[in-house]
Amino acid sequence: MSEDTEDIWGIAHVHASFNNTIITITDQTGAETLAKSSGGTVVKQNRDEASPYAAMQMAEVVAEKALDRGVEGVDVRVRGPGGNLQTSPGPGAQATIRALARAGLEIGRIEDVTPTPHDGTRAPKNSGF
Amino acid sequence: MRVAVTGTPGTGKTTAAEHLDTDLDVFHLNDIIKDEGFSTGIDEDRGSLVADLDKLSEWLDGRDDVLFESHLAHHFDADRVIVLRAHPETIVERLRERGDDDSKAYENAESEALDVILGEAVEEHGMESVYEIETTDRDPDEVAQEIQAVVDGEREPSAGTVSYIDWL
Ligand SMILES: Nc1ncnc2c1ncn2[C@@H]1O[C@H](COP(=O)(O)OP(=O)(O)O)[C@@H](O)[C@H]1O
Ligand SMILES: [Mg+2]
Repeated sequence: MSEDTEDIWGIAHVHASFNNTIITITDQTGAETLAKSSGGTVVKQNRDEASPYAAMQMAEVVAEKALDRGVEGVDVRVRGPGGNLQTSPGPGAQATIRALARAGLEIGRIEDVTPTPHDGTRAPKNSGF
Repeated sequence: MRVAVTGTPGTGKTTAAEHLDTDLDVFHLNDIIKDEGFSTGIDEDRGSLVADLDKLSEWLDGRDDVLFESHLAHHFDADRVIVLRAHPETIVERLRERGDDDSKAYENAESEALDVILGEAVEEHGMESVYEIETTDRDPDEVAQEIQAVVDGEREPSAGTVSYIDWL
């Protein structure tokens, strides 16, 4: 991938867990990674510091890397409670997406692909919220 | 006292509950959903009943001195909410061993890596009511003892003490 190619549309994969957020930007097939957050910046941090602020900072760094590689915009796939909880206990996917946009990436389709725990039974979608 | 034992399928809730020596009445909610028909439909993709949480909540209403276990247990009123945890790789191994298919094992393992149930439990009950227990490399008796310690008030609440996100 060189600097002078056409603008690229990518996919931002946001993994939002209780304490951490990891962001990876790939090409549209998901095969090539164009930018990745270094998990170390958020992993194992004290929960008190696991604010949306940390995720937002990380999103800015990842967006910059992606823009450098010619990425113009991204569809977003969110996995994790940050994707569907009103007030996420974790750093939160919503704050991350806003930060990607503020850093200059166009945001396309946002899809919540959070896995569902199941064992012969499962909860209804958005149960209890 | 009402105690909920929740956690991703494969964390060992049913097994640990069977190893408990307690005066509390122990209920396995998955069985109750099936036996009482507390469902609103079927998720064909996952081969799972969609639980009717309202009906189950009514069924639990007024019952005291109970311990109920299920990956749905945190959706109900409880004084203490215990969340069993296990490394996603361990979830895959245990569920395959138990005879579950790969797609079920992996979706549950991914749920565990993303702390889906822990997040919901904290969201619904608050940090002060949630007790996280790591079960990876611990046998069912040890896990049962730690559940007992929570019931007896010998443990402080905890959440977010493990991180499995690197597994993804
Ligand atoms: N502490 C443990 N160590 C090793 N294997 C376990 C442990 N707890 C449960 N298992 C095994 O893992 C599988 C899943 O346990 P189970 O109690 O059915 O989990 P859950 O009720 O949380 O879905 C079973 O085959 C069980 O024998
Ligand atoms: Mg069970």
